Amino acid sequence: MGDKSDVLQGTLDLMVLKTLESMGPLHGYGIARRIEQVSDNSLSLNQGTIYPALLRLEQRGWIKSEWGTSESNRRAKFYALTRIGRKKIEAETENWERIAATMARFLDPQKASAN
Amino acid sequence: MDWIRILLSRCSAFFSRRTLDKDLDEELHTHIDLSIEENVRRGLSRDKARTAALLEFGGVTQTRERYREQRGVPWIEALGQDVRYALRQFRNSPGFAATVVITLALGIGANTAVFSLVHSILERSLPVSDPGRLYRVGDGGTCCYFDGFENDNGDYDLFPYDLYLQLRKNTPEFEQLAAMQAGGSSLSVRAGSAPAKPLRSEYVSGNYFATLGVGAYAGRPLIDSDDKTGAAPVIVLSYATWQSDFAGDPNIVGSTVYVQTHPFTVAGIAPTGFFGDRVIERPPDMWVPLANEPTIEGPGSSLWSQGEEDTAWLYLLGRAGPGTNVATVQAKLSGELRQWMSVHSAFTGHGKTPQIGRQHVVLVPGGGGIQRLQQRTGKGLRLLMILSSVVLLIACANIANLLLAHGTARRAELAVRMALGAGRRRLIRQIITQSVLLSLIGGAAGIAVAYGLSHMILALAFPESRHMPIHANPSLPVLGFTFLVSLVTGVLFGAAPAWLSSQAKPAEALRGVNRAAGDRSSLPQKALVVVQIAMSAVLLAGAFLMARSLANLEHQNFGIVTTNRYILSFDPKGAGYTVERVPALYRQIEERLSALPSVQSVSLARFTPLGGHIWATHVALQDLAASERCDTCFSSWIRVSNRFLDSLGVPVVRGRGFSAQDTQSSQPVVLVNQAFVRQFFPKQDPIGKHFGVDEQSAGAFEIVGVFADFKMTDARGEATPIFLRPLAQQFTGFVQPAQISEETSSMFVGSVIVQFAHPRQDAETLIRRTMASIDPNLTVFSFTPYDAQVAGNFNQDRLIARLTSLFGLLALVLASVGLYGVMSYFVARRTSEIGIRMAMGATRPSVIRMVLGGALGQIAAGLGLGIPIAMFAGHLMASLLYGVKTYDPFAFIGATLVLGLCATLAGYLPARRAASVDPMRALRAE
Repeated sequence: MGDKSDVLQGTLDLMVLKTLESMGPLHGYGIARRIEQVSDNSLSLNQGTIYPALLRLEQRGWIKSEWGTSESNRRAKFYALTRIGRKKIEAETENWERIAATMARFLDPQKASAN
Repeated sequence: MDWIRILLSRCSAFFSRRTLDKDLDEELHTHIDLSIEENVRRGLSRDKARTAALLEFGGVTQTRERYREQRGVPWIEALGQDVRYALRQFRNSPGFAATVVITLALGIGANTAVFSLVHSILERSLPVSDPGRLYRVGDGGTCCYFDGFENDNGDYDLFPYDLYLQLRKNTPEFEQLAAMQAGGSSLSVRAGSAPAKPLRSEYVSGNYFATLGVGAYAGRPLIDSDDKTGAAPVIVLSYATWQSDFAGDPNIVGSTVYVQTHPFTVAGIAPTGFFGDRVIERPPDMWVPLANEPTIEGPGSSLWSQGEEDTAWLYLLGRAGPGTNVATVQAKLSGELRQWMSVHSAFTGHGKTPQIGRQHVVLVPGGGGIQRLQQRTGKGLRLLMILSSVVLLIACANIANLLLAHGTARRAELAVRMALGAGRRRLIRQIITQSVLLSLIGGAAGIAVAYGLSHMILALAFPESRHMPIHANPSLPVLGFTFLVSLVTGVLFGAAPAWLSSQAKPAEALRGVNRAAGDRSSLPQKALVVVQIAMSAVLLAGAFLMARSLANLEHQNFGIVTTNRYILSFDPKGAGYTVERVPALYRQIEERLSALPSVQSVSLARFTPLGGHIWATHVALQDLAASERCDTCFSSWIRVSNRFLDSLGVPVVRGRGFSAQDTQSSQPVVLVNQAFVRQFFPKQDPIGKHFGVDEQSAGAFEIVGVFADFKMTDARGEATPIFLRPLAQQFTGFVQPAQISEETSSMFVGSVIVQFAHPRQDAETLIRRTMASIDPNLTVFSFTPYDAQVAGNFNQDRLIARLTSLFGLLALVLASVGLYGVMSYFVARRTSEIGIRMAMGATRPSVIRMVLGGALGQIAAGLGLGIPIAMFAGHLMASLLYGVKTYDPFAFIGATLVLGLCATLAGYLPARRAASVDPMRALRAE
């Protein structure tokens, strides 16, 4: 994939949660960079779209935010998972895997019938 | 349950928008900075790093927008934006906004005022418990003292005390049946050392308050045991009077006051807001038990039967038990009535018995109380409702027109905005917000108009009211309704053109704008203008008719001269004078007042012409045989002093007036008016003839003179028979107790007429001082210039005339403004066409003619529609008109002229503006 592709809202949310789970508290730029790295730079999203997603997650209470200092001594807002957020990751991951499996069956019937 | 958290978070974020915006900015700033740093680390130059960072980020503004949408309550914020935008638009076209707001305010205000007043007068329930179970026995306005049959159709609605007691005893279907005085009295009341003052009073039965289901604010209400002969005399004061005339003194309950010099105890104060059994200009200041009426009224008492006579003077109001069948009770009461009549000679003598069969009572719901005021003013009030509705219609048509024109003119702007990417729904929402905002502002202004107008109407309709239980405050439901109407009009006519033009493709709209030739799309606007002009024509014509009618009423020849005359009303009986003592009092009054500087004449009378009161009596001519005598022949009569006719400028046309030769011992004489002669002596000379009030007294009075007719109580009708009797002659030949006591009470006069040679500022002080020096205990009720008393007969007519004129003027202004507005927009749209015409050689006058031609067409159509409707309306109003034919040409020509002139002017101004347009500028302005 060399093109920029639209990323579904829900999937971005899950990516953010997983990033925070593995990286610990991180600021917005850090999360965006990490997502880019993990997706092997094949997913170049507009970094700005991170922020509405972070707000969404925060409104739901899955992450919380705190002002702190970055490595280069800049004032930045750090986000971290909440307890609920951690539980949500499992549920969302299951959900996503189920969808992916269903899609796979549609896309490759032979593989499906073999299963 | 996520959505609750989200909602709460959004709401709280809404209130800390600014802080959060700053936070976001800082966060984004940091993000970009970190990104730049990273890029620099990778080896890019500072500038390239920055560019790359921004590119990676995406649109900062877009991010902010999406963030904000997620964060706050977007629709409120959008609303705020729309409102601010609308306000800015108003500032840009202040004329348009002001016109709409003023139009709305006038329409809403006028309607709210009139409908609220009508509601509070016509549909008011008494402030009593469970008014639904109250019923009035009788439905008419017969007042105030009668004997015999009452109405031609046998409807009996005024009752004698004896009959009331019978009905009360024999009708258990009524839990309570109360009786109350049909008229009211003014009694002089003295408390403590303060001078006596006149208070409005009402005689009521002991169970009055129990029937209505009200208690007392302080002390206790009247009860049955107060209403027995020999019971301790008590009264109940009204709350308003207690506050205004007795300073709210709590010690007054239980104290003694002197009513017409008789001691009474104040038993209690009626509840706040309680005003009695009817809506009236001067509600009772106090309620007195019926049992005390003979003490106070003395020889004029009406309570008990006097010989054969029972005076009917009470209205009945009862509280029905639950589950009462109205028709059954009504039939039962009618039966009891007929039975009572059949054993009373007043109804059976002289072959009257067959009429008894027709007599009946009608039971009507009494929750609204006695409806006399409502019956009197009902027609006028309904007329007012129609008038104000018409004004509202005109106002809405105006607003519709203005909004349509405004919307059409903005077509280009809307097209451009849509081409730039504005969403259609957002655009329409903005326009609707504008209309709603205008409606709200107009509505708020309308409340102010309604308030002022209500007060004005009340002051005009009931100028002599005191503690009247009607409030001038606009009622909420009416306000809400008119508000709704204007809101709907505004939204509809504002949004409709917007929706229509947003449907068109922007390119098309832009192409076609400002090149309109001809007006296919302006048909609805023209129709609206035509309707407005028609309605205005109706209102104006109505206003002219009413104004002429009022002028006729007020300036007619009443038969009396009123210039420089004043009326003083007083109450000798209330100050304790007896029949023996009053002659000396009258002599003193006449002498002392005549001695005042510039006084030309002084006279006394029991009633004054056009004062609203009169006595009538049966007339029995001596010359007729008993069988020929007419049982329904009545005449009014007044007890007067000798100079009465002189002081009112009424000429004696035959015979002589009263003089010193008419004394107590000489032949009782009377003066009759021409109407009396026409009715009773059509072809004879009345001088020297005798008549009386019944068979036995048929020879009592000798006619010695005839005087010219004047109007006594009915300012609109013809003069009725009147005879005058002198103060000096108290007739001693009556045998029946009722007649004797009536004769005695007629010796007490209530008015003094004073004629000055020229107007005097200090007339009132002079006269009051003189009266006080004669007897300081004499209660002077009022001092009125005669002109004011006459004018007081036409309060309602004046009110209606003034309001129709006001509404007519309103309609005229609105219609003119509407026409002006439409023509202005019309001209504005056709500017380039006009420019082309003028460039091609059209002269200014021809341009004016072209534009004006359109306007004149609408005016003509409007008048053509409106004048016939106005004639029809005039026909409906005929009963309110006096001396004016319903097809009065002056009114309709006048309305046509005024309206035509104003409307033509309204059309001419924009036409002139069109013609003065510079052709080059016009062509360039696209």
